[in-house]
Amino acid sequence: MSNRTLGLMMGAVALLIVAVAVVFVLVLSGGDDGDEESPRAAAPTEAPDREDADTGDARDSSDTRDDGRAVSGICGENRLITFGDDPATVFDPIQVGDASTAEYTAEIFGGLVTLDLDLNVVPDIAERWEITDGGRVYTFFLRDDVVFHNGRRVTADDVKYSLERAADPANFSPTVLDYLGDIVGVRDKFNGSADEISGVQVIDEYTLRIELDEPISYFIQQLTYTIAYVVDREQIEQDPDGWTRNPNGTGPFRVKVFRPLEEIVLIPNDRYHLGPPKLDEVVFSLSGGSLSTRFQNDEIHIAIVPAVELAGVLSGESELSEHYRPAPQLSIFYIGFNVNQPPFDDPLVRQAFAHAINREAINEVLFFDAAIVADGLVPPNLPGYSESVSTYPYDPERAAELLAQSRYADEMPRIILTFSGGGGDPPDNLQAYQQQWREALGVEVEIEAIEWSAYLRELRRGELQMYSAGWIADYPDPENFVGKLFSSESRLNHGGYANDRVDALLAEAATLQDQEARYRLYQEAEQIIIDDAPVIPTFWTVRHYLVRECVQNFVDPGTIVPKYRYIEIDTSGE
Amino acid sequence: MTSMATPLEAGDFAGRPTPRFRFLRELVHKKIAMIAIFFLAIFYLAGIFAPWVSTDDPNYQRLTIEDRLAAPSGDHWFGTDGAGRDLFSRVVYSARTTLLFTLVVILTGSLFLGLGLGLLAGYRGGWIDAGIMRVGEVLSGVPTLLLMLAISAAFRTRLNDVAFWLQENTFLGDDARAIVPFLIIVGAALPFAWIGSARIVRSQVFAIREQEYVLAAETIGVSTARLLLRHVFPGVLPIFLVGVSAGMAGIAGSEIALSYLGLGVDPSTPSFGTLLQNAGGVRTFQEFPHMLLVSGVPLILFFFSWNLLGDALVDIVEPRTYRR
Amino acid sequence: MSQGLAGYVIRRLLWTVPVIFLISVFVFLLLRLAPQDPIDSLLGQRYDDEIADRLRAKYGYDRPLHIQYLKYVQNLFQGDLGVSTRHGDFSVAEVVIPKIRVSAGMNIMAMILIFGIGVPIGVYAALVRGSFLDPLVIGFWLLVDAVPVFITAVVAPWFFALQLGWVDLTYEGVIHPNIILPVFVMALPGVAGVARLMRASVIQVSSEDYVRTARAKGLRERTVVTSHVVRNALLPMVTVVGLSLPGLFTGTLFVELLFGIPGIGREALLAVLGFDFDVVLGLVLFGSILFVLANILIDIAYGFIDPRIRITAARSV
Repeated sequence: MSNRTLGLMMGAVALLIVAVAVVFVLVLSGGDDGDEESPRAAAPTEAPDREDADTGDARDSSDTRDDGRAVSGICGENRLITFGDDPATVFDPIQVGDASTAEYTAEIFGGLVTLDLDLNVVPDIAERWEITDGGRVYTFFLRDDVVFHNGRRVTADDVKYSLERAADPANFSPTVLDYLGDIVGVRDKFNGSADEISGVQVIDEYTLRIELDEPISYFIQQLTYTIAYVVDREQIEQDPDGWTRNPNGTGPFRVKVFRPLEEIVLIPNDRYHLGPPKLDEVVFSLSGGSLSTRFQNDEIHIAIVPAVELAGVLSGESELSEHYRPAPQLSIFYIGFNVNQPPFDDPLVRQAFAHAINREAINEVLFFDAAIVADGLVPPNLPGYSESVSTYPYDPERAAELLAQSRYADEMPRIILTFSGGGGDPPDNLQAYQQQWREALGVEVEIEAIEWSAYLRELRRGELQMYSAGWIADYPDPENFVGKLFSSESRLNHGGYANDRVDALLAEAATLQDQEARYRLYQEAEQIIIDDAPVIPTFWTVRHYLVRECVQNFVDPGTIVPKYRYIEIDTSGE
Repeated sequence: MTSMATPLEAGDFAGRPTPRFRFLRELVHKKIAMIAIFFLAIFYLAGIFAPWVSTDDPNYQRLTIEDRLAAPSGDHWFGTDGAGRDLFSRVVYSARTTLLFTLVVILTGSLFLGLGLGLLAGYRGGWIDAGIMRVGEVLSGVPTLLLMLAISAAFRTRLNDVAFWLQENTFLGDDARAIVPFLIIVGAALPFAWIGSARIVRSQVFAIREQEYVLAAETIGVSTARLLLRHVFPGVLPIFLVGVSAGMAGIAGSEIALSYLGLGVDPSTPSFGTLLQNAGGVRTFQEFPHMLLVSGVPLILFFFSWNLLGDALVDIVEPRTYRR
Repeated sequence: MSQGLAGYVIRRLLWTVPVIFLISVFVFLLLRLAPQDPIDSLLGQRYDDEIADRLRAKYGYDRPLHIQYLKYVQNLFQGDLGVSTRHGDFSVAEVVIPKIRVSAGMNIMAMILIFGIGVPIGVYAALVRGSFLDPLVIGFWLLVDAVPVFITAVVAPWFFALQLGWVDLTYEGVIHPNIILPVFVMALPGVAGVARLMRASVIQVSSEDYVRTARAKGLRERTVVTSHVVRNALLPMVTVVGLSLPGLFTGTLFVELLFGIPGIGREALLAVLGFDFDVVLGLVLFGSILFVLANILIDIAYGFIDPRIRITAARSV
């Protein structure tokens, strides 16, 4: 029996092995006909590449890299290894709605104007611009040396095409009305009732005029957002589905490798008109894992530390603390109230809740003092910030007093605080508020976690009674906080807050040309809002970076700006 | 590798209905099994009596720097976490979450569904049997965690509404809010919990049906229910226990995995998943190893005990491997 | 192949059709009946009813469910698995296949490790059974099996990368030394199962007549063990190998998450969280079909080996 059994067994095993092999080969070969990847992920093949003389060597094979690292570590070559988030959409400027995609898009494309590292609006494709007709008409004079990555010169027609493409109803851009809706004719084009945007006129090859429905004082800021970036008509028409894989933009970098959830590699555009990048390559690692561990092991130049790991980095004896670099963001966390639902339809209740939380203690203990207690809505690094605005301080006695005066002193309806869960980050700070409200007010708040898109849907419908939320600036102007979130007409005003005085101030500020006067109006509105307490501002957020010494000129100004072209790696040794 | 449990299949146990008492007697004689049972008893008792065993409210935060991330001491036996919460209490309450979850899943999934479907398939045979087995086969083949994730993500929001309704309209009151998220993950685990035990029960029923006394009983017209109860059930029990003990670690693990990913129990319910997520950074482990150790070690011992117990049970039910 | 076996295989294959159909309907409904859809997560805070409606029309989510399902099946038969809404309309195959490749590569290495460690340990434990070494060895691996991956995946990098400095952690592809640590972390919990099974199998084979005969003939113990016992004891491993096949392609979520490996597990997690309909459905179907096929393969393999099994198995169909 044993011989026969053995023979058959070997046959069976062989069959299984063949089966595995067949499936495997099918899987492998299936992937190779569609894209230009090699099955060996270790050595990524490169997208069509014109000048890979210097970059090709650097990443030729993993072996040479290992040798290089053995000698000089990751600071031995002019190649930045950093982390990134997976882009939520393709690299199409008009589809971008999230910060992670915007980060790459801002490096690959450019628009008429851009932001510098201090968040000033500076020329990009436009050399200069004139504002006439009381702020209603913008005339842009384009540089004549701007080229796409493939060398084609950029003219006013390209800009007009890009703006019209953004408003084309067939492209359903989610952001066009928010950012470009003030241009004459954009809404008509978006509704399909016009073929062109009548407010965008090409005067000559290098002159473009944009007319607005009414003077909007932050229009030039809005133009820095990705929606207004210039795209290459020829490329899009040639390859309407695939062009975003390797877009032909005008920005400082172009895409060399893009593999979802794996990595993005950008290489410099040597003809970039504002000065070509100094790096040979930027590698964004998208695959997650413990960045701080990789940083500690000298495998990555820039890492970000998530809140749960902050303790391991900021505690005194950690060797990583010397690499720690906080970067305050143009964003804020807050607790929002639906001012139409009991008990938060009584301002006294809202104010009592605001007085009852001890944000300083939470910051000190939970965040290692690394966040900034929000003393207003507009973050400190945003133009138009004022120290004069202030929030309700921690004062449990006052909180209890206010609650006792409120309509709900005797009977409090049940209160549910909703946040978007599912990220795996435990909301310790929410539980801290819960505990403080219980202790100061004797009010039991329940915490509910729901999934992100469901959270947003309930928020839009105004169904959330009390919610934990955040807001990131789209463009550096206080309007983006005060107006977008609290104007009674804004669709982002989820708490139903309406105040005539605030609306009047916002309307007046929107068209005012004098920046300082405008900022004062926003500050006045901001203080009124905070006093009414439709939200409790809690913290201005900070990103926690770890940065190697050899990385020079790395600045995170708190919002999306093209920043990698300034960075240099000091290869001379640390 | 859950698939490892399956080779205990087919005719392996055929024709050897094991009397219950011999089964228990042999279990008592195994030292390793008794040690495992002893530890599991501690774990489960701590879970059941969590409110009395714990030294503190597991969610109470002490927001001072001295109380944050404190190493184990007389005040806090397991130390504290980043929000100054007492980790011993959190671990005890996590044991309670594990206990509740596994109990519910085993009772409804393995016992009710698994035993029921297994008996049905084995006794009726034919296309009912084939249908049940094929569905089970494919269900055990779909990426379990993936489907569990889908279920818990899909139903979370909807079930929150159910929770509110329950809370306002039934006697459950505030408990509804804690129970419902819990039910989601139970619901997510159920489709996979019955398969193993149904398979075991079914093959045992097949084997027993071939026995003469069962055939005899059938011919003289003993009712099906009685037949199952008297003859099949006792024979199935030991093997069923083996299956359950082999699957226990997996069931407990699925709750922990979901909670680790933030899709499990509500944040106010401590779970080993959230504890480990909290402690989980390599950096955090380097600086504050107690966070991972105090939640990890009880959990490892829990899984280990179930592994040992399962191993011992296999030896009892399948003594051939110990005979010379 | 005998006629009985062929018929049996055909019957099994026919059964899979309705079952796979049911699973696909179940997952399809599970995703579509959930209160949110890919458009919600795609637009996020930019959600606007008009744009959302247009996007829903683009993907066909505005049509009745049964039409959507039929459309999906129709596309499926044309080899089109749909598009990933999360990855800007990359096709599902484009998104999924490179990741499956990574996971499959790692899983094959892990399998080799599991059997490479597990089989010798099982044989050893069987040979020393009765002594204290047997429970000790098996017990040790049961303990290893009890450590959840998300603990190993924290402690192992800390020890091997930060303390000893032996390895780097950056993912550099499947064929690269950096993959060794994650593969080990993946493989360790599986060893106990293989070892335990191998041990039982060796003990059982040792009591078979032909082994006794071989011993009686006076063959050296070593020859008996290697040429008779171990070879025959490997037989049940066919099942284990077979049942592990579908697992090769499903990935291991936690190892991927904690080591930052672009495998299919993490992709699947994010697809579920982002309600990426087509990716989730495609992955579930892929996994289910693989599993069914693997089961049939095992049966065929056993059918070749031992006709008795065929009969008992066939009875159940």
